[in-house]
Amino acid sequence: MTDDDDPVVGDGEEDWFGDADPRVPDARPWPEGSRGLGDLGFLGDYDTPPIPEPADYAPRNAEGEAAVRELERRLEQQRTPAFPIDLRKRLPLEAVWRRWRALAMWGRSDVVDDFGRDPRATARWEWLFEFLYARWFRVHATGLEHVPAHGRALLVANHAGTLPYDSAMVMHAVRRDHPARRDVRPLVEDTVFHLPWLGPIMNRIGGVRADPANAERLLEHGELVAVFPEGEKGMGKLWKDRYRLQRFGRGGFVKLALRTRAPIIPVAVVGAEEAAPMLGKVTWFAKNIGIPWIPVTPTFPWLGPAGLLPLPSKWFVQFGAPIELGDLGPGAADDRLLVNRIADQIRTQIQNMIDGLLGQRRSPVLAAFLG
Amino acid sequence: MAPSQSRVVAVTGACTFLGGELLRRLEEDPRYGRVLALDVRPPAQVGGKVEFVKLDLTQPSVDGELATLLQRANVDTFVHGAFLAHPTHAAEWAHELEDVGTMHVLNACAGVEPRRFVMVSTTLVYGANPKNPNFLTEDAELRGHRDSRFVNDKVRAERQVQRFAKEHPNTQVCVLRFAPILGPTISNLYTRFFSRVVAPVMMGHDPLMQFVHEQDAAWALQRAVDSDATGPFNIVGKGVLPYTTVLALLGRVPVPMPQIVARQLTKVLWATQLVGSPPSFLDFLLYLCVADGARARRELGFAPRLSIKRTILDFLGVAPEDGATDIARAIT
Repeated sequence: MTDDDDPVVGDGEEDWFGDADPRVPDARPWPEGSRGLGDLGFLGDYDTPPIPEPADYAPRNAEGEAAVRELERRLEQQRTPAFPIDLRKRLPLEAVWRRWRALAMWGRSDVVDDFGRDPRATARWEWLFEFLYARWFRVHATGLEHVPAHGRALLVANHAGTLPYDSAMVMHAVRRDHPARRDVRPLVEDTVFHLPWLGPIMNRIGGVRADPANAERLLEHGELVAVFPEGEKGMGKLWKDRYRLQRFGRGGFVKLALRTRAPIIPVAVVGAEEAAPMLGKVTWFAKNIGIPWIPVTPTFPWLGPAGLLPLPSKWFVQFGAPIELGDLGPGAADDRLLVNRIADQIRTQIQNMIDGLLGQRRSPVLAAFLG
Repeated sequence: MAPSQSRVVAVTGACTFLGGELLRRLEEDPRYGRVLALDVRPPAQVGGKVEFVKLDLTQPSVDGELATLLQRANVDTFVHGAFLAHPTHAAEWAHELEDVGTMHVLNACAGVEPRRFVMVSTTLVYGANPKNPNFLTEDAELRGHRDSRFVNDKVRAERQVQRFAKEHPNTQVCVLRFAPILGPTISNLYTRFFSRVVAPVMMGHDPLMQFVHEQDAAWALQRAVDSDATGPFNIVGKGVLPYTTVLALLGRVPVPMPQIVARQLTKVLWATQLVGSPPSFLDFLLYLCVADGARARRELGFAPRLSIKRTILDFLGVAPEDGATDIARAIT
């Protein structure tokens, strides 16, 4: 960003405490080599390089123009009158304050993307995903060649588990094992997105609130978007219903793909069910603390927060061949019957992929953990 | 288009930051012949083309007075900027000024039908809501805020202006919804809030925030007066940042607290006039209220020049390289 690197005022230590307002020209003596107010005129800026002597002056057009533009910009800036709101004066412990700012910025970057993904925060959590992916779940990802190296695509996956580990693993699979190392933007259900702590963290590492407007904007920008159409119902699936796909919402993802002409890539995730087998769920107190239910798993809530850690099941992630809906045209998004039929076809396809992956496992019970 | 030399502009709220900046810019612009500054006290820019006319929008008979004035001066463009920048305890008076004052202004304009009507609004009218998309376009519903009179008066004023636009197709009506304005000279709800050493953080929540630099905002208002574009426009800065990152850049001390505690505490502090932000403002620290500036870029020709980081540092009065070197030093 060009506007971030313009030197506006000198970073003088001496004016931190003093009465000098750096915008007031007379606040500091003129540095040697500059000619004072007469030459710099309206500027009053001591960081401007001295005007060269006529002897060594040579017309340099590009630089000259840049200088004129810079002068114009500064003139514009000078129109902001000096005003004695100098907030630094309210903080007598200047050094402490500077150190505090530096510490507060640790682990976060001062530039995030439009949807709030913070590159530095993402890097900070990378080790955790890598551990879960490679060591804990020993994820076996196949079919990554179906994910395009650039351009928009909509990943549609099944959903399970008390916490959205599956979206994290789909994200990490593409970032780690795909040759283009693309970032997947998972759409996160409202209930998870507004959970304290978890929601903001998911937002910082790339999660986006599941909203048609957000998804459309991401796809228009050529991003990879992952949706979990089962949504909350998928996450609340009980152990007895494992690997049985729930209704795929209202087919919103199909409309999205039709409107943005993005190919749909079906994704089957196997293993999330065993990572957090939900034996039951309690709803009576949950609404009071802002979540749809309290899960009951073999470890939660018996072990406290540690019970939210997933069991080390063996995972398989399979990416299917892309389904192009582009030739149907954007008008097809209004055809409800068609949308519903496509949604159901995709659901059946993912169910078949899941069944295939389950068949690959050696035995139905222990295999979930041993692979 | 009116003949170029004779453009007459009337500005309400001439003593506000945006009003003052507009007067200054119009004074320098040769296309404008005369500028009427309407306010209860004279602005700093009086002189030259700028004439001060004392006008109190809370007076019941002000609309007739204003209509006569507009008629006599043959006003070409009317800029309505008499809105409060921070919430006040004098809620009745604020309502008279913003909601009823807008009615008076529109009554006067209905008779005169100026060529152009520009209104200053804010993106707060969309309201902070858990259902908001990441970027609110101009078509989004104006939800306002359930118990913030500060925001709701502006929503009501906007609705009146929308109705006026429908009923008076001869007048080009343009509404500018400014994101929270930050800068070294402006004073508003957000600058006061961020001037405190400590700032409340809703435990576990960290919404994205958006600001516009005061000079960008003033430029946008000037563009709106110059151009022929109609309809609502979001005037927003470049980029977004999470709330806690904003606090970190500002070097403020975040105080995380549970929502219930924060609300009760703010209620008490607001009632005792110890803080300038009412309890309803806390929702803007919980949920997104970020607008999309694409329409302004497309139709108004306004694109912000300063990034959010630069805006924050300029508000703070710190050279941009300052924080960066500090951070680098802390990490290495």
